[in-house]
Amino acid sequence: MKRVDETVTIQENKRINGKYYKLVFKSARLARGVQAGQFLHVQIRPDAVDPFLRRPFSYYRIQHDRIEVLYEVLGRGTELLAGLGKGSHLKIMGPLGKAFTQQVRGKKRILVAGGVGVPPLVFLAEKNPVDYLLIGTKSRAEVLPKKELSKVRAEILHATNDGSYGVRGFVTALLEKIIQKEGAECLHIQTCGPAPMMNAVMDIAKREGIPGEASMEESMACGVGACLGCMVKTPEGWVPSCIEGPVFSFDRLVRTCA
Amino acid sequence: MKTVDLTTRIKGLVFKNPVTVASGTFGTTGEYAGYVDYRKLGAIITKTITIKPREGNPMPRICETAGGMLNAIGLQNKGLDDFIANKIPYYAKIATPLIVNIAGESEGDFAKLARALQKHSRVVKAIELNLSCPNVEKGGAGFMKKRRLMKAAVKAARAETDRLLIAKLSPELGDVLEIAGEVLDAGADALGLINTLKGMAINIETRRSRIANITGGLSGPAIKPVALRYVYEVKKKYAVPVIAAGGIMTVRDALEFIIAGADLLAVGTANFVNPRATLDILEGMTEYCQRHGIRRIEELRGSFRHV
Ligand SMILES: Cc1cc2nc3c(=O)[nH]c(=O)nc-3n(C[C@H](O)[C@H](O)[C@H](O)COP(=O)(O)OP(=O)(O)OC[C@H]3O[C@@H](n4cnc5c(N)ncnc54)[C@H](O)[C@@H]3O)c2cc1C
Ligand SMILES: Cc1cc2nc3c(=O)[nH]c(=O)nc-3n(C[C@H](O)[C@H](O)[C@H](O)COP(=O)(O)O)c2cc1C
Ligand code: FES
Repeated sequence: MKRVDETVTIQENKRINGKYYKLVFKSARLARGVQAGQFLHVQIRPDAVDPFLRRPFSYYRIQHDRIEVLYEVLGRGTELLAGLGKGSHLKIMGPLGKAFTQQVRGKKRILVAGGVGVPPLVFLAEKNPVDYLLIGTKSRAEVLPKKELSKVRAEILHATNDGSYGVRGFVTALLEKIIQKEGAECLHIQTCGPAPMMNAVMDIAKREGIPGEASMEESMACGVGACLGCMVKTPEGWVPSCIEGPVFSFDRLVRTCA
Repeated sequence: MKTVDLTTRIKGLVFKNPVTVASGTFGTTGEYAGYVDYRKLGAIITKTITIKPREGNPMPRICETAGGMLNAIGLQNKGLDDFIANKIPYYAKIATPLIVNIAGESEGDFAKLARALQKHSRVVKAIELNLSCPNVEKGGAGFMKKRRLMKAAVKAARAETDRLLIAKLSPELGDVLEIAGEVLDAGADALGLINTLKGMAINIETRRSRIANITGGLSGPAIKPVALRYVYEVKKKYAVPVIAAGGIMTVRDALEFIIAGADLLAVGTANFVNPRATLDILEGMTEYCQRHGIRRIEELRGSFRHV
């Protein structure tokens, strides 16, 4: 299969709240056949060696050939990205990786999102019938603007660490409540976010026997399975999360202490 | 435009151009096939294989550094049997010469690997000995730090194969010029220069290393001047074919190495940044030669001007 590495022109790149920036560009080839959970591998400054490696970002929203990415400024690469204006160029490989299971039959679906794991799960919830979308953030300032969530066909519940929006505490408290209400047997979980959050979600899922998927976030170099740098531990050993994931079924993930 | 002859010959082997890929940076079977037509490459060098499968190091294994990256993959690979059963048939279908990179913990390992690959000499055109991987405490490094054993490894492999035998070195092992002489005496046909340089990076918030293995191999543009210097010095001292690696990102880098005398150019870390780096370099090389009225790459190779 022919793979895409395309130079795109930024159409929009601006801050949308206390946490995220939204990046918008057009590419028919990078948009073709994409499903939530897949990612783009972005060379932020195509003609410079700083940042040196590409950075992976999830697809957030696609409308025809228009692609949106939501990102958080965490370090040098995302800081440089945030400084780029309309008309700047990026070099992007994609779509890469395996998507979330889109259709889950006979189960109530819960999505548990936090941090940079929010964008792919909002994408999933916009495209598929989902029952709950649980979002955990530090405070109100980080909660996505209502407009960004208007196309989600699910009950959206927020948890903030400081209680400034939704319930106070961790998103896992919301998850426990839903399990009590619905009963574990009929549930299916999909999660993406910081490792401690996903670990807590998977601990609950394991205790309750709830199946599901987690999207892992490992630093990447190649994005195509060549460098063996982005590994996730499975019963068969370390596998590259860029091609075998980033989405993995809970039962394929072996916990390593981090 | 006149066509440019990029043909490169090493001891009876004919490469249609000098551009290949560095071990461990191009996957094992077709990871880059969607971006690069493998038939266009001068040669393909595989990730290191060992006799038994190796699990590799814990995570994190990589981190970015100024103009490069550190890696401590730990030679993760599925072992010799898997290579013969699954990878050889894949490469048999691609006419591009295959160079198989091997590593062992003893000279016996190298002998066994070379013997097994010799049986597939229709596909395996050359064997590269990884004498320097800095990440394998018990294997490569510990063993290879001992120069005597390094020579023994070359000798052992030589006794088992008539394939082009490349000894890949790292400056970590000691005086490269001296070692080059030793491995050539031991029977190597060519040298791979260079493997990564050992380095580290610390997360100042956690005060831990950014790599689980603590140290890792530095690669990319950051090491290019070092690699270039070794290629130049070795070429000046010995009449030996050299497979150059170390920060070759663009055609300019590639041309510097050719002018210094390199025979093949192994593009490594650059593949991660630009999956088409090899082909971009090839196209740029032809253009450069046309612009300078060079009809055969041989005219440029080793043409460094001392004054
Ligand atoms: C499959 C996948 C999808 C992703 N999707 C998104 C997304 O939609 N939006 C978004 O904002 N971010 C996303 N990320 C994370 C994003 O790639 C990192 O935040 C980014 O690479 C950081 O680069 P930097 O140079 O700014 O920071 P660095 O200086 O590289 O790192 C800054 C901080 O971020 C952490 N970090 C570095 N790389 C990653 C990583 N890959 N994942 C998590 N933390 C990391 C570091 O440990 C450090 O604490 C995704 C990551 C993966 C693997
Ligand atoms: C992720 C990674 C994995 C590597 N694995 C191997 C390996 O298995 N065997 C080997 O001989 N060299 C290995 N190398 C070293 C490269 O082949 C090359 O010698 C080195 O990276 C310098 O070239 P570069 O700067 O162009 O990457 C690896 C390098 C990287 C970055
Ligand atoms: S990023 Fe290289 S194998 Fe996944």
